[in-house]
Amino acid sequence: MSEHSSILTDDTWLSRLDRALFKFESLLALIGGIAVFSLMILAVVSVAGRNMFNQPLPGYVDWIEQAMPLIAFVGISYTQRLGGHIRMDILVGRLRGRILWAAELLTTLIVLAVMLLLVWGAFAHFLRAFDLAAPNWSRDSSLDIGLPLWPAKLLVPVAFGVLCLRLILQVWGYGRALISGTPNPIAVPLIADAASAAAAEAATVSGLEKG
Amino acid sequence: MDSIDIGLIVSGIMLTMVFLGMRVAFAAALAGLLGLVWIFWSKKGYDPDEFIWALGVATKTAGQVPHSKIANQALSLIPTFILIGYLAYYAGLTKALFEAAKRWLGWLPGGLAVSTVFATAGFAAVSGASVATSAVFARIAIPEMLAEGYDKRFAAGVVAAAGTLASLIPPSAILVIYAIIVEQDVGRLLLAGFIPGAFSAVIYGLLVVGLALTFKNFGPPVGGFSWKQRFQSLPGALPILFVVAIIIFFIYNPFGGDAWGTPTEGGALGAFVVFLMALYRGMRWKQLREALLETAKLTVMIFTIIWGVLIYVRFLGFADLPGVFSDWITTLDQSPMLTLIYILLAYAVLGMFMDAIGMLLLTLPVVYPAVIALNGGEFVSAADSAFGMSGTACAIWFGILVVKMAELCLITPPIGLNCFVVAGVRPDITVQDVFKGVAPFFIADALTIAGLIAFPAIVLYLPGLLLGIS
Repeated sequence: MSEHSSILTDDTWLSRLDRALFKFESLLALIGGIAVFSLMILAVVSVAGRNMFNQPLPGYVDWIEQAMPLIAFVGISYTQRLGGHIRMDILVGRLRGRILWAAELLTTLIVLAVMLLLVWGAFAHFLRAFDLAAPNWSRDSSLDIGLPLWPAKLLVPVAFGVLCLRLILQVWGYGRALISGTPNPIAVPLIADAASAAAAEAATVSGLEKG
Repeated sequence: MDSIDIGLIVSGIMLTMVFLGMRVAFAAALAGLLGLVWIFWSKKGYDPDEFIWALGVATKTAGQVPHSKIANQALSLIPTFILIGYLAYYAGLTKALFEAAKRWLGWLPGGLAVSTVFATAGFAAVSGASVATSAVFARIAIPEMLAEGYDKRFAAGVVAAAGTLASLIPPSAILVIYAIIVEQDVGRLLLAGFIPGAFSAVIYGLLVVGLALTFKNFGPPVGGFSWKQRFQSLPGALPILFVVAIIIFFIYNPFGGDAWGTPTEGGALGAFVVFLMALYRGMRWKQLREALLETAKLTVMIFTIIWGVLIYVRFLGFADLPGVFSDWITTLDQSPMLTLIYILLAYAVLGMFMDAIGMLLLTLPVVYPAVIALNGGEFVSAADSAFGMSGTACAIWFGILVVKMAELCLITPPIGLNCFVVAGVRPDITVQDVFKGVAPFFIADALTIAGLIAFPAIVLYLPGLLLGIS
């Protein structure tokens, strides 16, 4: 299983687009991280309010359910760029050159097709909740304090759409690699062997231990 | 072609894609989507004019899964636990724990190794991630052990094996995932992981003492700490106890009355305490940003697999593959216990090649109903069951067993990640050394699993005592 990969860059259009999209993806991922942090703060406020001031936070559960899509989906493309979605690379890890790029191109193309369909499906799910004529443009709302549900539902196809852009870039990257047969293609996550994956994992927690 | 055949073919395609290197989450979503299209289209007799209709219905069925399944407050425990884990590295807890463990347990044969096991178990109480735990303790504990003349492979093996304790001792992200997939109460499972986690740590500790007594110069004790020094070492490790206590109080109130809140709130409060400590220890925006990005990445990875697999599960419901598998497994002409042991052995083999989370999520939708059926069904009473426990108790017990099996895959060759991490931190120790050093711990794990199977009370005592599950 590889969770860590390295991505090469140069000054071609593909690499520029790759890095530009990555900036946007990093921003989205950070928003997801901040949402986790807010969840923690929200719980502290809710517990403190209930136990110390006898004043529970109204709609606490509603807000969690609004935050979950933010946490769960907006970073999906960031994770794909970094090769962070787990997979089994015991077979592809042994492939080299064009055969490897052909396998990667094939699976990435299939994933792109799946995700395009899911953008459609998730958007349909959003449309069932969205109605310009209704109050808050919303046909359904959360149980406790009546937050409209469509913004959270809209996040899903949007996040999946960004992932589709990323997948298109990766299809492009693997396609180029397949044609040129290069061992070091740009803009796609390269398979790290277990040793370098472990080194990267170790690096994420290095230098934090003080005193 | 009936729906069972479709189920088998589509599952086969999914496994092929996983084998070809497709990300597990997307392979599961692909299988679910493909299967739904196929099932709907077959109902229309594969009429070419109806294909677009089938595609549309399937896509819309699948498309509502991500939002509707993820917008669930019980799931918010996962990111909170992951955040605690990342913040804990900045809170300076690991060194304090190791120091305290050394002063209290160092006098034992193999004292530093025993200390490593228990310090790791303690750290597991704030961290749910095995691999990172091994990386940190490789840096702290191995140099001290080598300085005392410990065997190099032994020292590395202890750290790699002890890291696996994190997946049972709460807060454990993998137990939350199990609870979500099998639709059991998260609090019960977290509570149930406590004693088996401690039990594993004790077995590891005994093994270390045994090895140190058997082999000369393997792991000498370190002595000479006064009681004053021992007590002085405790305050640094106290926040761990505090976090554990908070999480427990939010699941169950030992003073009677209601629990203080939900496990989610408990986890968040624990994270907040660790966050304050990390701030105090000098964490600033740069480190926090790093921790938040890592949290976001790991969280998204886990949630993507969850919704991907749930799309597959939605399809499985139509194909009734789990039902057929359960029927088959319950009519096998052998004892249910033997069947269960085969299932666990299959996980051990699978775990040699697959990541723990991917392995559990891909298999549980089919395997879990079969195990419950083996026991006599979801609503069976303890008296009528095959394993001597109610359906709910069986769900908890099996959860702890499979998570323990999943831990094993972190230290089994050829891809046991914990071993690679320890070798990566210590350039003087090769991966082969770590795999050799970790081998005795397989015996300890086999004993632990045998113990958990022979005495389910180790798992079920705490949930039974506190929540009244038999």
